[in-house]
Amino acid sequence: MIDEKHENKAVDISSLIERQIAAKIKYLQELNEAVDAHHDREVYQLLDNQRYAKEIEHREQQPNNQGVMSLVNDLADQLSNYLSVKLIKYLGKTYPFFYYEEYQTGHYRIYFGNWWDRRQFGELDVLNVRFSFDQTEYAKLQKSFELAKDNKRYNSDRIEKISSENDRLQGLIDHQREREEERQSVESQLEEINARSGLFESNKNKETRQELVDQLQKLEDEEQEARTASKTIHENEQVVLSLSKENTILSYEQKSIIDTFGSFEDFELANRNLYADYLASLEGGNSEEGKVSADEQ
Amino acid sequence: MNNSKTLSSSPRERLTVLADSFKDVLKMGQKYVDLVDQLAQTEDPQEMLSATSQLVKLDLQNAFVDFPQHYQAADYYLIFMGRLLEKHGIDAVQVSENVRHEFIARIEPIADSDSFKFMVNGDEAAFTEQGEQEPLFYLDLKNRLMQFDNRALVNYFIVRALTSHSDLDLRNAVKPLIAFANELQTDLDFTINLGILNTENGRSFNLVQPDLDLTVIDQLFVATAENDYMLMNLPKNNGAQLVLDQGIKLDIAFDPDDYSQQWFFAVNDPTAQVSFFDTLLHYHLIRKWYLDNRSALAVRSDKMVLAPDEEESDEYVEPTEVFTPQVGTLEEDGDQHDE
Repeated sequence: MIDEKHENKAVDISSLIERQIAAKIKYLQELNEAVDAHHDREVYQLLDNQRYAKEIEHREQQPNNQGVMSLVNDLADQLSNYLSVKLIKYLGKTYPFFYYEEYQTGHYRIYFGNWWDRRQFGELDVLNVRFSFDQTEYAKLQKSFELAKDNKRYNSDRIEKISSENDRLQGLIDHQREREEERQSVESQLEEINARSGLFESNKNKETRQELVDQLQKLEDEEQEARTASKTIHENEQVVLSLSKENTILSYEQKSIIDTFGSFEDFELANRNLYADYLASLEGGNSEEGKVSADEQ
Repeated sequence: MNNSKTLSSSPRERLTVLADSFKDVLKMGQKYVDLVDQLAQTEDPQEMLSATSQLVKLDLQNAFVDFPQHYQAADYYLIFMGRLLEKHGIDAVQVSENVRHEFIARIEPIADSDSFKFMVNGDEAAFTEQGEQEPLFYLDLKNRLMQFDNRALVNYFIVRALTSHSDLDLRNAVKPLIAFANELQTDLDFTINLGILNTENGRSFNLVQPDLDLTVIDQLFVATAENDYMLMNLPKNNGAQLVLDQGIKLDIAFDPDDYSQQWFFAVNDPTAQVSFFDTLLHYHLIRKWYLDNRSALAVRSDKMVLAPDEEESDEYVEPTEVFTPQVGTLEEDGDQHDE
């Protein structure tokens, strides 16, 4: 509005208002008709003309008329809910591993998979036909695709580390008897030495005694650790289980993406093209139902 | 045979009593021969059952005629089973007599390794594998009941026999036992309980334990990462579903509308031909998980027990000691009725 230049203020201000109102009415009427007929593609065009022109009609430089578009800002949640029906149906076929939960009108959480344990993976931005992935979760998936090239899994290193710690602890438990025998032998050696120590103790005697005391301390430390070892082992096993679970979730996710898209790169490409691909699938508005059922066959 | 009575009688009376006693015993002997004949000859399942029911109760011990006790109750149960299967043309169970005049059964295709006998305890006879004394099923002719023992089925087939036989062989070995159960049901109106051998969809097998630690299911989930099967979440968060080959699905679940949250196993497949037992037998993944966590996952046997009949309990004849069921050896780790 500001861009428009009108020299003759007196006449033009009212005609300007009339034109603007007419444009707003036209916009609302078109949107109303598109919604009424469930012509979702047209609705998307009306909601973001600039993007539509660029990605569907390949016309750049088509500015959005914010003055008319802002009219429906307060209907964003309802429009999102309305448009989600066809979009989620489409995504059900193209991204069969995503599940959605509408936690409030027009707002959808994405869940990756319907397997035993699954991750919340971000949100679905219906109005912009876009996944808004949880960056932390997404990074894990990306990382595990990278690791898969080296035949490794996301938590493999940590699992290995904890497992070898468990092996060490189990060793402490298993060698309790040897430790006890050693302790008795060290103690009796110490007694012998103590018997020989007096006011004029030789340096060698002192050294040996210190060694024996240290040895005894080490054995006692190990004994102390062995006493709580089985509890620690059990706790570690639980940690390993939950790490393995995360590995499993990631492997299910990788498998799903490979089954559907062939590779992670193709998955990312599909995400980038989602808007264009989805609107193209809507076939101008009238025949999209025919398109969907053709896909089903 | 009451001495105080016979002593006070005249010689003539005493002879009459003696003759009557002989007549009774001989009559019993004749009845015995007739029943043996009936069991051997009849093609009518009702008559097979009737002859067997009487033979297993018949006590030939008496003071007058020394009938050699040729066969025991356990043998008649086995002959009955063999005859009924024979009538239906099933020859996978071979019943034969050993040198001690005991009948034993061998089942193709595991006939070379294991043999089976009935162990009699009151009205109930347990079809028992001889090596580890696993009672695979219980037969009660009087109350017309036949029920498999889930725990013994797992112990014998899944834990033990699978180390020396293929899953296919064992599945074939189970078939004639299921056929016997079905014949009892159709021919003789028995109530049967196939337990974990049941292949009907919608059958569920409750776990013994009232609660299930979900980390046990986590373990199965983690194990699936190594192969092509996936463990899915059930829609109402009431458990998990393992998706296997050819549309076969194994659920470990509870009824979401039941506040007690009783966990159970259930197998569903498109043709209703796969039992929970079959999944244990065929899938290493399931078997290993089940056996590793058996204390948590064991399924109940749900054995039907009938209240003892007071009036007839006096007529019950204790079987000779050879057939005293060795209940103690069955209780390897806990309640023998729980799988």
